[in-house]
Amino acid sequence: MANAKNNVAIVNEISLIRKPSIWETLSNEKYFKWMLVLPLIIVLLVFMIYPLVFCMYKSFFQSGLSGNSTFIGLQNYRTMLRDVNFWIPLGRTFQVTVICIVAELLIGLGLGTLWNREFRGQNIVRGLILLPLLVAPLILSIVWNFLLEYNIGFVNQIFSAIGLGRVRWWAPGGAIYTICAITIWQWFPFSASVLLAGLKSLPKDVFEAAKVDGAKGWYTFRRLTLPMLSPLIVIITLLRTMWLIRLFDPLYGTTRGAVNTELLDWMVYRTSFIYFDIGYGSTLAIMSLFLTIIIGAIMFRQLIKALNASN
Amino acid sequence: MKSKGIVVKRILFWVVTLLVLAGILFPLLWIYLTAFKSSNDIFAGTLQRQLIFTPTLENFKRLFVQFPFFRSMGNSLIISISSTVLVMVIALPAAYSFARWNTGGGHILFNTIASRMFPGAVAAIPFFLIYRALHLLDTHIGLILLFMYFNVSFATFLLYGFFRDVPVELEQAAMIDGYGRFAIFRKIVLPLVLPGIATTSVFCLIWSWNEFLYSFLFTRNAAKTITVLISSFWGSIEVQYGTMAAGAAISILPTLIAAWFMQRYIIRGLTFGAVKG
Repeated sequence: MANAKNNVAIVNEISLIRKPSIWETLSNEKYFKWMLVLPLIIVLLVFMIYPLVFCMYKSFFQSGLSGNSTFIGLQNYRTMLRDVNFWIPLGRTFQVTVICIVAELLIGLGLGTLWNREFRGQNIVRGLILLPLLVAPLILSIVWNFLLEYNIGFVNQIFSAIGLGRVRWWAPGGAIYTICAITIWQWFPFSASVLLAGLKSLPKDVFEAAKVDGAKGWYTFRRLTLPMLSPLIVIITLLRTMWLIRLFDPLYGTTRGAVNTELLDWMVYRTSFIYFDIGYGSTLAIMSLFLTIIIGAIMFRQLIKALNASN
Repeated sequence: MKSKGIVVKRILFWVVTLLVLAGILFPLLWIYLTAFKSSNDIFAGTLQRQLIFTPTLENFKRLFVQFPFFRSMGNSLIISISSTVLVMVIALPAAYSFARWNTGGGHILFNTIASRMFPGAVAAIPFFLIYRALHLLDTHIGLILLFMYFNVSFATFLLYGFFRDVPVELEQAAMIDGYGRFAIFRKIVLPLVLPGIATTSVFCLIWSWNEFLYSFLFTRNAAKTITVLISSFWGSIEVQYGTMAAGAAISILPTLIAAWFMQRYIIRGLTFGAVKG
């Protein structure tokens, strides 16, 4: 009895004398979990905060790629507010985002409904439509640029062969819609596949019950299918917004910002790397960041909810 | 009467399906057709000559001889693989920590996605200037670091989903059996998330391979990537569609193969793990 007590005392004494080694402290769960996350946090902070602070700082200066810069206060921001070359691409980016998402969702819903059945070769069809998704957007846009060329482009040759006449795909008024179409072409397989997966996972008995109750196809679709698909529609909309507000590659592959197709990122690129106006470019960059944050803040909660619900 | 309606419906179904497939596949097929055409056939004004032609390898020959094609491929490979390795080194432990201990109560994890919304052009100016000062322009390491940043949040989030699929009970049982933390991770968790690691890596590889804006701004010669080389065929004084198509034909091949063999995981990846597909 006394011996045991002694032993406890000794153990206590040892643990008092011997401090836990650094390794022991770090592998304690309380610290260990943070240690695993630390590199990620450092990387994200460094790579996000440095550009942000830098752009904010530069936006108060008039400066080129090299040489002196002069402090001009809020002059860049004042210029920007009156600059149609800022507001027009901004509006256009918004327009492109809406057009592409709506079109992709509609095509996706259509094809998802069409392919939501058993048919011969269904796996091949589903696999084939995924092919363009991972191909570099830049390369695809160059290819489309060629296919839609006025004289020798394949699409116009087909059009004139079947009597539709040649279309000026890259005319100033319509070029931006052609760019939308190219983007939609590459990405409708995404929404179609997501919605098809959603449709396949819907409970069958609900639809049978609706059928028994005499519900018509359109009514079932609007009242049953759509509400049940809505989390997926939210996810598609949010993820596509994230990609679309930064659309750049298809512009480089086709019009290079000419014929009224300039978008947000292209405008920042042109100001900073073609005109070498770093000060004003930074101002535009900051502005486009803030707009992204505003859009992000509005949509982010929904995205997290949707991701959480399905994860 | 009724069976006739079904037949019409079935025909309509296949007409639409085949049209969609043709629309999807034709531009991809076109790249491969054009790659084997002589420039006379490429610029021919008639449909027959565009579709029926004598195949030639001259585009590939020109691409290999006159342009630094293999070096660009090599650059792209080095940059994609290195950045993917870095991404995995950072994302794997972080994702494990988020999934296992819910580190930071979910806030940090979700804020990592926010970094994907960061507009590309915002980072372009600051990084261009600091890279110039550090002599990192036109180097592999410069692009490797940037691509690591672009992909790390996505990779963490996707891996998080895969780690979450591993039941905690499995780890607890192993812990009772006396395994250490690293042994558990290596022997029990890792084998179970291997498909997840493969999927995430392929996505990171492809996105680095495809990336254009930064490769274009930050490389000139030494580290020029394949996408930048291909983009230079269009927009120069003489438009070289044949050479462009030959380069595109080779460079998109890995992405097409990946798209075909990863079918099951593409949707999961593109939705950040939200839709299991």
